[in-house]
Amino acid sequence: MNQFKQMFLAQLKITLREKQAWFWGIFFPVILMVIFMVIFSGSSEEDFKAEVAIVNENPNATSEMMLSQLEAIPVLEMEEESVSREEAEELVKEQEISAAIVLPESEEATDILLIVNKEDEQGTTTQAVSGILNNFVQQTNLYAAGATPVYSLDFESISAGSDDLDYQDFLLTGMIALAIAQGGLFGMVDLVEMRRKGLLKRLRMTPAKMGIFGFSDMVMRVIFSVVQILLLSLIGVFVFGANLHINFLSLTIIFLIGALSFNALGYFFSSFSKTTEAYMGMANIVSFVMMFLSGVFFPIEQMPDWLQPISQVLPLTYFVEGLRDSMVYATGIVSGPLWIGVGVLVAWGAVSYLLGSWLYKTKSIVSTR
Amino acid sequence: MTILEVKDLHKSFGEVHAVQGISFTVKKGEIFTIIGPNGAGKTTTLEMIEGLVPPDQGEIIVDELNWKDHAEQIKMKIGVQPQSSAMFDLLSPEENLNLFASFYDKSRSTEEILEMVSLTEHRNKHVKKLSGGQRQRLAIGLAMISDPEIIFLDEPTTGLDPQARRNIWDIVLKLKELGKTTILTTHYMEEAEQLSDRVCVVDQGKVVTLDSPAALIDKLTEEREIRLSFLDGEEAAMEGEQFASNLNTVTKTERDGAAVKLWTIKPEDTLYDLFGFTKEKAYQVEQVSIHEMSLEDVFIAYTGKEWRD
Repeated sequence: MNQFKQMFLAQLKITLREKQAWFWGIFFPVILMVIFMVIFSGSSEEDFKAEVAIVNENPNATSEMMLSQLEAIPVLEMEEESVSREEAEELVKEQEISAAIVLPESEEATDILLIVNKEDEQGTTTQAVSGILNNFVQQTNLYAAGATPVYSLDFESISAGSDDLDYQDFLLTGMIALAIAQGGLFGMVDLVEMRRKGLLKRLRMTPAKMGIFGFSDMVMRVIFSVVQILLLSLIGVFVFGANLHINFLSLTIIFLIGALSFNALGYFFSSFSKTTEAYMGMANIVSFVMMFLSGVFFPIEQMPDWLQPISQVLPLTYFVEGLRDSMVYATGIVSGPLWIGVGVLVAWGAVSYLLGSWLYKTKSIVSTR
Repeated sequence: MTILEVKDLHKSFGEVHAVQGISFTVKKGEIFTIIGPNGAGKTTTLEMIEGLVPPDQGEIIVDELNWKDHAEQIKMKIGVQPQSSAMFDLLSPEENLNLFASFYDKSRSTEEILEMVSLTEHRNKHVKKLSGGQRQRLAIGLAMISDPEIIFLDEPTTGLDPQARRNIWDIVLKLKELGKTTILTTHYMEEAEQLSDRVCVVDQGKVVTLDSPAALIDKLTEEREIRLSFLDGEEAAMEGEQFASNLNTVTKTERDGAAVKLWTIKPEDTLYDLFGFTKEKAYQVEQVSIHEMSLEDVFIAYTGKEWRD
């Protein structure tokens, strides 16, 4: 017991005195999260609005009727005064407005023209405005034909939880998962360093129980990760207004399994890295690939189809999803995806650990001088 | 009383036969020094005794225990200061000592060890800020924390300045006073000669010779080397050499200009006769010296002078 206490205290002190641990464990994830939050969630606070200009050069009955109906659409923000077609084109070019709508020039004319900037052709706003206008024209057509619409589409978004998944929630949970995963991937550099300096060998000359040493190390890392979760959550919730609905039981399960699994991966890297540089290189490549392919910053579904199968085997994908489910949707432990995630993480962890132990034993680089 | 017995140790690393049949016994309370050129197998031998490397063949008995059945007990009885003084750089000496103390059933107080290795002043400094000598003293302190019966010091003074080296000698002698057994390796012959009760010379994985430093020197040769130079120049030196070579105590002579070297089995008689000769001829002797043999001569005599790696 005293041995555990002393080992734990020693590891805690070493971690707190290690500048690298502060930087990569605390500072880096916070900065990264703040940057992404600021860049990507600036506009999502407000409702969707598109600024448009109306060109109504020859006001007539049809155009007046359309104008009044367009004004009734809440997401379209009209310019105060109607402008000439040339002016409207200029405004679109300058990107002062998202689009210009040219109303029919006479009562008999039936075409409405939508002018957009080429640069924004694929943008969300343009797509939305054209969709709205298209819908509007169809309604008008039906009305002109004297038909009453039979079908109408109502749009309602639902999710497993009570709230929608905002980008803040998405990014916050992604960052937490990334921070914990990186803690494990990079953290085992200590082991490489201890071996290089002969410290592992030194400990083997004493009756120290290496099992207790490993265990106290794990306890310390788990506590460190809890601090990361708390810190990132507090910033996410209070600074960026993320909404969390946490199921603590499933969060605890996925957190512990994930943390252990990524530490095992780090242990595996350490088993064949002779220098800290080799280890850091390895950990960097893996963490970089996973950072962008595991749905930390944006949903996997947005990636090209051929890339998605790679995401489906990466452990971080499942860790991110598990944390998201348990922190944002309050998913309970009776959940298929949660246990699939746990299973994948356990598989990665177990294989890494076994391979690592085997390499440590057979290559016996533990005893290299 | 024998505290350590090593019988016919063998160890090969692939093609390299590092240790090829090393045997010796160490008595309780002695300072036993292993010397030998680089790559002679000293460290490998130590690592086998310390239980880090299993021998291919041979037997190691530590205080009537063997590694196969009593690894844990042996680790409780030994303290090791390895060549690479590995410790936790971000902890202080005090914290390192406390941590290591927790590994053992019994331990000395941290206070006492800090005192013994003169680190009380630096107890709260991080290890990475200590000087080489302080680090080395802490490494020895860590080896002593469990109050072990046998302490292994692997080149404890390599790379230290003369003061720091003498500090460490004091610690080793203190350990002897406490009745502890010390097994030491070193590259400094002076150190081996001053500290050791017995010296074991190892070369190419074998024990070349083993005895007390004085006995080793005595055994090396009965002859002593006398050097003298004549103020009256080469002529006088030639005459002197001629005279000396006719003495029956002198086995060999050599001359370089006015300086004469001669080897004698009875230095006192030879000198008496020589001075008789110079007085009679009224030659003036500029310098005279008797070269005492040291452990270094023993070392060179047994392990050769040629370069090797």
